[in-house]
Amino acid sequence: MRLAGKTALITGARGGIGRAIVARFLREGADVYAADLSEDGSLPGQVSEGRFIKLDVTCEADAIAAMARVGDEAGKLDILVNAAGIEIEKTIEETSLEEWNRSFAVNVTGTFLACKYALPLLRAAAKDGITSSVINFGSYDGFIADPGLAAYCATKGAVHALTRAMACDHGPEGIRVNAICPGYIDTPMMQSFLTGDGVGGDGKSVETMKQAMRDVHPMRTYGTPEDIANLVTWLASDEARYAAGQLWVLDGGLSAQVQQMKL
Amino acid sequence: MQLAGKRAFVTGGRQGIGRAIVDAFTAEGAAVTTCGRGARPEEISEHVIWYDLDVTDAEAVAQMAYTTDGTDILVNNAGVQVEKTVPDSTDADWDAVIGTNCKGVFNMCRAYIPTMPKGGVILNIGSISGRFADPSMALYNASKAFVHGLTRSIAVDHGPNLRCNAICPGWINTGMLEAGFDLARDPQTARADALARHPVGRFGEPRDVAAMAVWLASDAASFATGQMFTVDGGMTAASPINPGLF
Repeated sequence: MRLAGKTALITGARGGIGRAIVARFLREGADVYAADLSEDGSLPGQVSEGRFIKLDVTCEADAIAAMARVGDEAGKLDILVNAAGIEIEKTIEETSLEEWNRSFAVNVTGTFLACKYALPLLRAAAKDGITSSVINFGSYDGFIADPGLAAYCATKGAVHALTRAMACDHGPEGIRVNAICPGYIDTPMMQSFLTGDGVGGDGKSVETMKQAMRDVHPMRTYGTPEDIANLVTWLASDEARYAAGQLWVLDGGLSAQVQQMKL
Repeated sequence: MQLAGKRAFVTGGRQGIGRAIVDAFTAEGAAVTTCGRGARPEEISEHVIWYDLDVTDAEAVAQMAYTTDGTDILVNNAGVQVEKTVPDSTDADWDAVIGTNCKGVFNMCRAYIPTMPKGGVILNIGSISGRFADPSMALYNASKAFVHGLTRSIAVDHGPNLRCNAICPGWINTGMLEAGFDLARDPQTARADALARHPVGRFGEPRDVAAMAVWLASDAASFATGQMFTVDGGMTAASPINPGLF
């Protein structure tokens, strides 16, 4: 029970990675608020209906209301996980202004709004040498580009810079801000990338492409949402009290190598 | 003539990237001295001075720095590559790779820094392999990361007087590239696959690296120091996963 006594809010809680984080946080004893735009489908783990917050991360009023509720009920927030994100699979030429703005609204503005209105609660949790923890979602795509993901790559680069900036500004208040930069993780988003337009599938089966994708990784596999939840748990825990302002790449070694040729 | 009036010393000028830098510097008006192990190559420009020098020999390097006192631009290009993993690497491999790529660059910098005039430039040839790992090139990858670290250190320690940068070439058409493809089960497929991973649609040529060297050596780059400049046709900007190639 590494998160016993801690209050956590996770955005994108119905997404592939968000669900795994919620389930893991509950097992670790945290008091979890699961926030998502969607009210459809089951809630992850054993989270009760009462702990679900309908949250459009792009809406300032929603962010204010969500944090007000956590403030009323818990009086503090130890852990904020900004896992809500979308991916537009296009080059910039194909991307409409609306899609571009939507990408930034969810991935960047959403992170900004949740953090902005969570800060008083994060400060309230950080005292007597205990730190509070913000975990943003960057991506290895914020460092190197995948083809046909231009707006996504740009938003993740923005999240990386925002993470460092917030860590500088709020570290003195006992608030740690980090970003996790996943590589390929087996989620609906990855499934969409494999089957979507513009990935050059050439009629190959998704399983063939998945195997080729595994083979490119030094660990010969892509990750699971639970792999990400493991790192989120550590960054959220008191063990990580000296970890701040960093971009934690978790990608099975993918980005350590030069492009892997067919040798 | 971006380098008119400058004196340049380039190590490893016999072939490949080093030779292209020698030729480009000469074309830009620099007085170029170069070196290598063995006799002067016959086809090199008559305006270029050639010395037989082993950069791993500290005493010989010190003597060379005395002989070529007043060098404005030092290019540490000499390097060797061994295609092996860590357990496969022998003591002789260590001596060859670390001796030339690390100690050789160190020897040259230690000997030349005190002799270089204010405004001098050191250019080291690093590699994308010092930033990301090429498979089965363990010592080479590590040696190039050393070059990057040394580059930053020299830039910081000798800042007001010297500029020091590294160029990180990607896959350049040289004997080293051919050696890489020779490792492949099917060199022809490997070559086609590698080409497809270059946004510019071709491998680099030694002159591409030389062009960056000319700029970094010139006064146009007077605010550039302590940095790694990657010239790789866009290869390392992209993810190693390229579904179009699966």
